[in-house]
Amino acid sequence: MSLAKFIEDFEEAVEDIEPGSLTATTKYRELEAWDSLAFLTVIAMIDAEYDVRLKGDVLKNCETLEALYAQVSA
Amino acid sequence: MVSIMAKSSFKQIQIGGVVTCVPALEKCIDDEVDLFGGNEKQIARLKKTIGLDRRRVVESGTTAADLCEAAARRLLNATSLEPEAIDAVIFVTQTPDYSQPCNAAVLHGRLDLPKSCAALDVNLGCSGYVYGLWLAHMMVSSGGCERVLLLAGDTISRIVNPRDRSVAPLFGDGGSATLIQRSKCESVAWFSLETDGKGFDALIVPAGGQRTPSSAETQVEVTDDGGNVRSAENLFMNGAEIFNFSITEEPKAVRDLVEYAGLDLDAVDYFVFHQSNRYILSNIAKRLKIDLAKVPMRTVERYGNQSSASIPSALCGELQDVLCGAKTQRVLLSGFGVGLSWASVILDMAKLPICEIIESAPSE
Repeated sequence: MSLAKFIEDFEEAVEDIEPGSLTATTKYRELEAWDSLAFLTVIAMIDAEYDVRLKGDVLKNCETLEALYAQVSA
Repeated sequence: MVSIMAKSSFKQIQIGGVVTCVPALEKCIDDEVDLFGGNEKQIARLKKTIGLDRRRVVESGTTAADLCEAAARRLLNATSLEPEAIDAVIFVTQTPDYSQPCNAAVLHGRLDLPKSCAALDVNLGCSGYVYGLWLAHMMVSSGGCERVLLLAGDTISRIVNPRDRSVAPLFGDGGSATLIQRSKCESVAWFSLETDGKGFDALIVPAGGQRTPSSAETQVEVTDDGGNVRSAENLFMNGAEIFNFSITEEPKAVRDLVEYAGLDLDAVDYFVFHQSNRYILSNIAKRLKIDLAKVPMRTVERYGNQSSASIPSALCGELQDVLCGAKTQRVLLSGFGVGLSWASVILDMAKLPICEIIESAPSE
């Protein structure tokens, strides 16, 4: 489990995101591609890849990818 | 303390026909660019991944009772049954004509069913059709009923707020009629039913019932963080919670039922899930590692999420040829959602005299 891999998995899960375009400090909820679908695909990805059932509130409240990763790896 | 899932099995009962009636008026997500703030890219994503496209909605003046009545008349006609032949009518709906009397009683009158016929409603949505089948099987099995008419339908399009992007483009309307009857066939039907009432508020119309009666306040429209508009009398859906629930519980329920039936997944010819959206269904199918060709999932993109009518709609719209054919099909039906409630059944179907989608005439 690593932050770099998490960012890659995130990029792959969300439609219309270029691989390599995101960083640890990216505020993912401000991305153009962030919508209700992206929300679901990220929850599905976190469940499938990290075996974590992430609550919607956590995803709604985190700002950056590294903050989100901290919640997932906790 | 280990809880026993409500599992049961039945013999010598079969489905003798299914009809689903959809309203004529069609809406398309492509025409709703304004709802999405002009974001055509987002619409394209929703079409491609979630499988949103077209849906059918009633015009004011048409209700689920009307759609189910049309379906029932077509069904009785196709099976050459007189109203006197029906021993019980079950109406599954969350959008009845009245809070009382029940839709089943109203339809009993409209269809001229006999006084000896039992009638009741079941207030469930996504899992409702399978619950209805379960009740019908029990009624026939106990000896009291030869034939049960199961009506299942909803007009969810009427209770969502048109400016709520999280639900308005998803839900369509529909009404179905299914005949369940005693038969000589030896095939078995296996059922399982489960609930998680702690998730009651994941899919809810918060006001308008007895808990929070309708008032000027409950009709005030509020805009949420996502820019979606709704009042307390509109349907609210916590998408993330429903999604998590579906991908967690469904695969488990399917595997447990298949095991209870003494079968394996390969023995099932078709898996007909409640047609919520294609993304959830492909996710569930992938987790179960089942062939996607066995999983109808085109109903949402044509008709929308039709709540209690979605499973019969998928049967009629996607499996008509195989279910009317001579070869017996072993199908697993599974509905999951509002309640939270989920129910599954494995049963055989063959040679249905009718299994079709009809369109209701537009209201005058």
